[in-house]
Amino acid sequence: MVSTSGFLKVVKPPPQWKVPVLLLLAVLAGLFLFLVHISRAPSYLGDDPKTCVNCHIMAPQYATWQHSSHRENATCNDCHVPHNNILNKYYFKAKDGLRHATVFTLRAEPQVIFIREAGKNVVWKNCIRCHGPLVTNPKLQAMRPLHINSLGTRNCTECHRHTPHGTVNSLASVPNARVPLPSSPVPAWLRNIMRTNTGATQ
Amino acid sequence: MKPISEIIRQKPWLGWVFFLITMVVVFFLGLLASSIVERRAEAVFAYTPAVDIDSLEPDNAVWGKYFPREYHSYLQTADTVFRSRYGGSASIDMLKYAPELVILWAGYSFSKDYNQGRGHYHAITDIRATLRTGAPAGNVKSPSPNTCWTCKSSDVPRLISEKGIAGFYAGTWETLGPEVTHPIGCVDCHDPSTMNLHISRPALLEAFQRQGKDIGAVSLQEMRSLVCAQCHVEYYFNKHVAEGVQYLTFPWDKGFTADSIEAYYDAMDFVDWEHAISKAPMLKAQHPDYELYLSGTHAKRGISCADCHMPYISEGGQKFTSHHIGSPLRNVSSSCQVCHREETDKLVADVYERQDKIASIRHQLEKLLVRAHVEAKAAWDAGARKEQMQEILQLIRHAQWRWDFAAASHGASFHAPLEVSRIISTGIEKAQEARIKLSRLLASLGRNAEIPLPDISSKEKAQIYIGLDMKTLREEKAQFLQQVVPEWEKK
Repeated sequence: MVSTSGFLKVVKPPPQWKVPVLLLLAVLAGLFLFLVHISRAPSYLGDDPKTCVNCHIMAPQYATWQHSSHRENATCNDCHVPHNNILNKYYFKAKDGLRHATVFTLRAEPQVIFIREAGKNVVWKNCIRCHGPLVTNPKLQAMRPLHINSLGTRNCTECHRHTPHGTVNSLASVPNARVPLPSSPVPAWLRNIMRTNTGATQ
Repeated sequence: MKPISEIIRQKPWLGWVFFLITMVVVFFLGLLASSIVERRAEAVFAYTPAVDIDSLEPDNAVWGKYFPREYHSYLQTADTVFRSRYGGSASIDMLKYAPELVILWAGYSFSKDYNQGRGHYHAITDIRATLRTGAPAGNVKSPSPNTCWTCKSSDVPRLISEKGIAGFYAGTWETLGPEVTHPIGCVDCHDPSTMNLHISRPALLEAFQRQGKDIGAVSLQEMRSLVCAQCHVEYYFNKHVAEGVQYLTFPWDKGFTADSIEAYYDAMDFVDWEHAISKAPMLKAQHPDYELYLSGTHAKRGISCADCHMPYISEGGQKFTSHHIGSPLRNVSSSCQVCHREETDKLVADVYERQDKIASIRHQLEKLLVRAHVEAKAAWDAGARKEQMQEILQLIRHAQWRWDFAAASHGASFHAPLEVSRIISTGIEKAQEARIKLSRLLASLGRNAEIPLPDISSKEKAQIYIGLDMKTLREEKAQFLQQVVPEWEKK
């Protein structure tokens, strides 16, 4: 077991190397901060649906939600992360988010993205979280007993398959959707030079 | 344990191991960074096809090569088959439907011809064909200014960039006839380089500036209404902006309601025309669709024009915004039922119920206004003086303004039924107030009997009563369409 002071003693560079090592560590830290900035890492702590289209492959999901009635009342996180307690919320978010980020970075995304079992269960609980009073309302129970009888046994999305994204969700399903994707990482001055040199329109 | 520097001094190969490990870590961090940058750069292209469209391209077919689905749905605005109870995509002769309108607009070109418009595709054909633009030929000029082209064509952004804003509005309507050939289309709402929504007409930008609002700060959802609000709004021609120019202006400085726009016009003594029968200083409401939509429940819920009039539809495995703009009643499942999970018949019946009720009170106001105009004429004929009539004529002006505000916005009895009912009820109150004052005045002038109404049971009879020579007007128009328009199209 090495104590903190012992560890420092081990890794501490000799006095004449202090400045170069400091500079190198700053380069590493700078690279890390650049990663935080360019990946918009802080946005992942919030609930803005724009965060979910940091990865452009989520555009079909964003576009279909944006054209649905859920747009007015529910963000992505309202349905897709658990809300039973804040720890679970961020645990699930981190778990899902890291998997998504890995798949996206490795370019391993499938042409059609399907929700996984864990995600389905979270959505199911969230349907009930908002629509529970509707499902358990005695008047409506009498009218449509299927709802109360299936509560807890059948996932809402078994029947409500099109809510809210519709059933067509391939990466190519919304070719011209206007989605608030991140702006180009190329700075404007460079884009202008590229435009004048190549005559490109973008 | 000895310090690392000591260990490395003893085993130099360990220094190389540290070097390699650090190199690999930095290499992969760099790869990760470059991958993130790359994938962010992809986002710029992923949903914006690489197009080669000129920034002012007026030809919708050129855009259509890159956006076939959107373009083909746009072409469907040519369809004239759909009819709802009060509207639809066919041309409806509103003067025939309600001959009272001929009397209400006596002395103004709307009494000659007023059809409910067809789809965007027909914008140019329809403005050429209406009797309101006259029959310019040779030395005969159109009674309309070039300003009237503003909302008819995708050639307008190009012409404005060539001539400047006032330069485009200047001159009579026939002078730009050969230049304006493409109906309303892509460039009117879309930026060709990004395909994002943009505002191409100066009047909306100018109105925003006067209100101190920044059009750059509005959300995409608001833009999905504001691109429509470039045209589907109340407007007037301001003659005081530039010499001899009818400058298109939105009267929003005091607010969006019928009352605040009325106050705006009163404050500047604005008059569209003097009524041929009553001599009242009249206002003509255009189509305050956006203004009235704003006061409705759908606007308050964050619903934009495009949500219902341009719903998301799918074709095969692709989803896109339908550019077949028209009544949502044509496609209830893609528009209403996105939010309202009810039977189509029930939803349509709800719309018609609102429209029926408002149409009936609006029609009552129309009849009162006809009486007020005719009675005012009788008062003049009986020798009424100007100062005796002034207050009455002002009441007629306000009453008809309110009627027109409710009538000209065809969708408003659904968009904002409560506000439209309120506007009509204040109109009825003002019209009746005018008529009470008129009957007192007439009595004081010795005319105590009811003033007989002319026979206006048909559009033709009403037009004869106000002294229009429809036969000549139609013949001149036919000649214009046969001789002048083909020349325009050749150029």
